[in-house]
Amino acid sequence: MRRKTWLTVLLVSILSLCSLAGCAGDKQEGEKEAAPEKTTASIKIGGSSTMAPIIAKCADNFTEEFKTWDKVDAGFPEEPIVIFVSTGGSGFGLKSAVDGTFDFGMVTKDLNDEEKEQFANGTITQLGSDVLDIGVNSANPVAKVKPNLTTEELVAIFSGKTKTWKELDPALSDRPIVIAVRDLGGGASEVFDKAVMKGTPISPEALQIPSMGALAGKIMDNADTIGYVSSGLVNQNPDKIIPLSVDGIAPTLENISSGQYKIGRPLLLVSKDKPDDRTQKFLDYLQSDKGIEVVEEMGYIPVSR
Amino acid sequence: MISVNPGSELKEKVTSSIFIGAATISSLLLLAMLLFLLRESWPIWSQVGITGFLGGAVWRPVITPPQVGIMPMLVSTLWVAGGALLIAAPMGFGCAIFLAEFAPVPLAALLRPVLNMLTGIPSVVYGFLGAAVLVKFFEVKFDLGSGESLFAASLILAVMVLPFIVVNSETALRSIAPEYRYAGIALGVSRQYLVLGILLPLARKGMLGALALAFGRAMGETMAVLMLAGNTLKLPVSWFAKGEPLPALIALELGSATPGSTHYQALFAAGLVLVLMVIAINLGINLLLHRLQKGVNSV
Repeated sequence: MRRKTWLTVLLVSILSLCSLAGCAGDKQEGEKEAAPEKTTASIKIGGSSTMAPIIAKCADNFTEEFKTWDKVDAGFPEEPIVIFVSTGGSGFGLKSAVDGTFDFGMVTKDLNDEEKEQFANGTITQLGSDVLDIGVNSANPVAKVKPNLTTEELVAIFSGKTKTWKELDPALSDRPIVIAVRDLGGGASEVFDKAVMKGTPISPEALQIPSMGALAGKIMDNADTIGYVSSGLVNQNPDKIIPLSVDGIAPTLENISSGQYKIGRPLLLVSKDKPDDRTQKFLDYLQSDKGIEVVEEMGYIPVSR
Repeated sequence: MISVNPGSELKEKVTSSIFIGAATISSLLLLAMLLFLLRESWPIWSQVGITGFLGGAVWRPVITPPQVGIMPMLVSTLWVAGGALLIAAPMGFGCAIFLAEFAPVPLAALLRPVLNMLTGIPSVVYGFLGAAVLVKFFEVKFDLGSGESLFAASLILAVMVLPFIVVNSETALRSIAPEYRYAGIALGVSRQYLVLGILLPLARKGMLGALALAFGRAMGETMAVLMLAGNTLKLPVSWFAKGEPLPALIALELGSATPGSTHYQALFAAGLVLVLMVIAINLGINLLLHRLQKGVNSV
């Protein structure tokens, strides 16, 4: 009997502690909202795994060049520059920018009006564009036999209607077409759907690959694979992945800048509140020539100035 | 309680209540986790319903109206985990019997730490090795379009759960009372009969427990199956087809699901289903073992 009462007392106290913790949580969040100035010198950026290498490289360069904030601008204190860059996906980047976990969220998709509203008091900065090339393995003869595909042929391939390479063009082999796509709720998939598929569902036999890097790896390893790859990765591996033209338009720099090549998505940095002075300096750095250099180096298309 | 000195009774009460507190908090954590999953996924259960969600064969949560059905993923999960057990159980049991009964001491002393080290290898390394080596091997050897399949995932999972089966089975065999061995030796039966006919049935409970642990582990493994199962949305029709087990589904899509959307809630619902499945397997095996215990028991 004593044990039972003791157990009841314990449970009740734990439950009441939990509810009290809930109250404290709200108050703390309210206080956080009221204080806009950061006292720590670290900048936290997270979100899209496509943009993460670009921002990480810029952060590295920025930190190495200046080392402490007072070298960036004499008005700042002499504190070391600390910038954290993490991944987690565009959706995670959006959410975390809104709830304040990150100072900036990296998002690689067009924002709809509802999402744009959440950043009305902050910033939405476009650093460049990530263009999706339709890539095939360099050993695949389609690059020589049929280097241009129409949108209809692309839809037929990616929806599973065209099952073998021979059905696409009789000069090709009778091997099955292996379709590599990104996860179907993600940013890259959305871009491809808007530009090419336009609502037609992707074949249920398509391989969903967790990251762009792994997708490029699949195309490089497997000669029967076709998939949409970030142009940056294609440019980094010119002799292993060959991009195909779509409707006669090749994914060259001119066609992308002029807007003729349509399969692309913006590289965005979003923040909920106006960045403070130090964070603004990093943002300026990203948009300066040095940032553009890194974007180009990684193979992406910088926003034209 | 007869206390030697006045202070020790209080000390006993304090220490026992600390332990009870710790056990209660652990159980409450599990309960809290389940309730959180239920709360986040509640709209799915109320709108789509249990049969609709579990039996639905179409997973397209980003179109309007969203269609969320995880039947192909359920089948893939069970197939991958079951397949892993099919491969690992004979090897694991054999290894355990060898280590417990037949191995010379120096060899056993070498084998055991090596097997334990297998549990320490991060699952992402297994996945990466499988993707680089196993997938390529299947593509080359069997001339497949692409080498990912539930079988490849099962193979890697078998390597991952092997140590669990071996360690638990060996413990079960070792904890059999030595009287049975003496009786066997006294009666002059062969070593093989002693092990297979007498000791194995006695160690049944521990070995089944090992299998349940391994099955739960295999069902929940994420990184290895994410890279090896192919992640296709079609219902797999053979072991060598591609599929998308539930942990891979959640890991793949949670990063890009907008919080609060149907997609997000459906992924939480899938997570709840997965947790409940693992709990059900464990509970089921425990119940089964309770009934087995009615026979000869020693473990």
